[in-house]
Amino acid sequence: MNPEAVAIAVFLLTYALVVSERIHRAVAAMLGASAVLFLKIVPWERVPKYLDLNTLFLLMGMMIIVNTARNSGLFEYVAIKTVKLARGSPIRVLLLFSVVTAIVSSVLDNVTTVLLLTPMLLYISRLMDLNPVPFLLSEIFASNIGGTATLIGDPPNIMIGSAAKLSFNEFLSNMGPIAAVDLIITVLIIYLAYNSALKVSPKKKVMIKQTLRGLDENAAIRDIRLFRKSVAIILFVVALFFFHDKLGIEPAVVALLGASLILLWTREDPEGIFEKIEWPALFFFGGLFIIVGALEETGTIAQVAKWVLNHVHTSGEALLAITWFSAFSSAIVDNIPLTAAMIPLIKHMGTSMDVYPLWWALSLGACLGGNGTAIGASANVVVIGIAEREGIRITFGDFLKVGMVIMIVTVATGVGILWVRYIGW
Amino acid sequence: MGLFSSLIQRKFKNIAGRRYERILKEYKEFLLTEEEMMLPEIKSILMPLDRFIGEIPPEIYETLSAYNDARIILVYIIDAHVFHVIEQTLGKDISEEFRKKEENDGRLLLEKIAKNFEGLGISPQIRLFFGDKGEDVIKLAEKHDMLVLSKAYGSEITKTHPLSPVVLKIVQHVDIPVIVY
Repeated sequence: MNPEAVAIAVFLLTYALVVSERIHRAVAAMLGASAVLFLKIVPWERVPKYLDLNTLFLLMGMMIIVNTARNSGLFEYVAIKTVKLARGSPIRVLLLFSVVTAIVSSVLDNVTTVLLLTPMLLYISRLMDLNPVPFLLSEIFASNIGGTATLIGDPPNIMIGSAAKLSFNEFLSNMGPIAAVDLIITVLIIYLAYNSALKVSPKKKVMIKQTLRGLDENAAIRDIRLFRKSVAIILFVVALFFFHDKLGIEPAVVALLGASLILLWTREDPEGIFEKIEWPALFFFGGLFIIVGALEETGTIAQVAKWVLNHVHTSGEALLAITWFSAFSSAIVDNIPLTAAMIPLIKHMGTSMDVYPLWWALSLGACLGGNGTAIGASANVVVIGIAEREGIRITFGDFLKVGMVIMIVTVATGVGILWVRYIGW
Repeated sequence: MGLFSSLIQRKFKNIAGRRYERILKEYKEFLLTEEEMMLPEIKSILMPLDRFIGEIPPEIYETLSAYNDARIILVYIIDAHVFHVIEQTLGKDISEEFRKKEENDGRLLLEKIAKNFEGLGISPQIRLFFGDKGEDVIKLAEKHDMLVLSKAYGSEITKTHPLSPVVLKIVQHVDIPVIVY
């Protein structure tokens, strides 16, 4: 039995199962990982090498912080406050929700962000008696764009940061400006595309204002002490991320420290919080790391890297190739296995060229590629799934028409910025 | 259900299924239901006035002016019970003096407020009569779609009693939307 062929087959099969979702993605990844371990393609003693604990613990720490803070009603408070600030103006709703979604997504995971903001967005659209589709699309794109901005915003970034030893500040200074420019462009495109659907009469506006006045954001706060403590810990954790490289600590340590402090300070029931950790997501990551480890063990990644290097000779060419390949791939298939496979590839390319800009290219493509199709990112699936449950249909074609334009424009903008910064005129 | 739709639902269930149900349940505690969100059609607005109401805030004019198609009826009610008590205890002349003064004050107030509405392009109807400030408003409210009341209507208010008992009685007995300013 050829171990290389088996490793490739397991990887592709897992990928196919993840895309089709016929069985749960975590189960698919665990199955693949078990297969390569059973067949000793990845020796047991090499598992710790491939299991990226930095990514796993960073995700786990942030999940604990978010789930504890959620008990206070903090995120519902933010959602209601945003709706009230919009004061019944569709343009303001579009703009404010996009900005808030992007900011929250840059710190929390995208799925949690859209899960918490979408019900509020649907509520305000109904109140304004407007088509909610432009608002929902804008929320999806903003979530994916916001996640691109920081080390902790999107799982591909966590994986890239961990593998390439990139700091929070490096991510913010490289990807932050790209995300900011892309967000402005995206809102502008949505506005231009749906301009006629974003209007309410002055009479309706007054009625909306009256209804919103009755909405009390403070009513969403279930525990004011927990609320204050949660805000303090989140601010502390974000502040610590800015200094983690200077302090010489891994981002995962910052997240775990924040998680321990919030549990200690708030005295929330740890069992309840641990139950809410998204274990399927963590097992999905763990399984994928081992499956990609099998590709490394068998030398498949090295061979692909060699092939790529035969065709790509400069950092500029590699930047373009990695960005667009990962963007279009992420639009069709899940960006997490893609990133997991691309990381060792880029590491191998490091023997022949400066790969520093390529990490940003991968982050750009993997995160923003998700905007291309309805199944490109988890946030897309969640928002469209919620919309469908509420009787609002966004078809694959509807999404593709706007999503592809947004993806191509935002990725091209990002490539342009990276090119000017690292390759030159 | 199409291929794409069922794929989305499968993915949604695996990524966020139960979490969404929980979040939705939490939101329902403070968001309006579909039924509550149905805005009633407002064709006529009743605005009772009296000597206690003080100044009407500009936001009230602004809000009411948004109901382009609605008639606004300004009603000044002179307390008939007070009039009878004065008549029986202080005599006819004093009660007549009270009636004249009340009618004059009422008319002036009605004209002043009507003028403010006219400045916004609305011509309200005005009425002045003797009656019961609480009962008559409750009865009149049946023929209107919205009621706009000062919190001092019918009685002076204080820091310890920030809402007039007459207003409290009215809002407890009417079925139409009420704005209390």
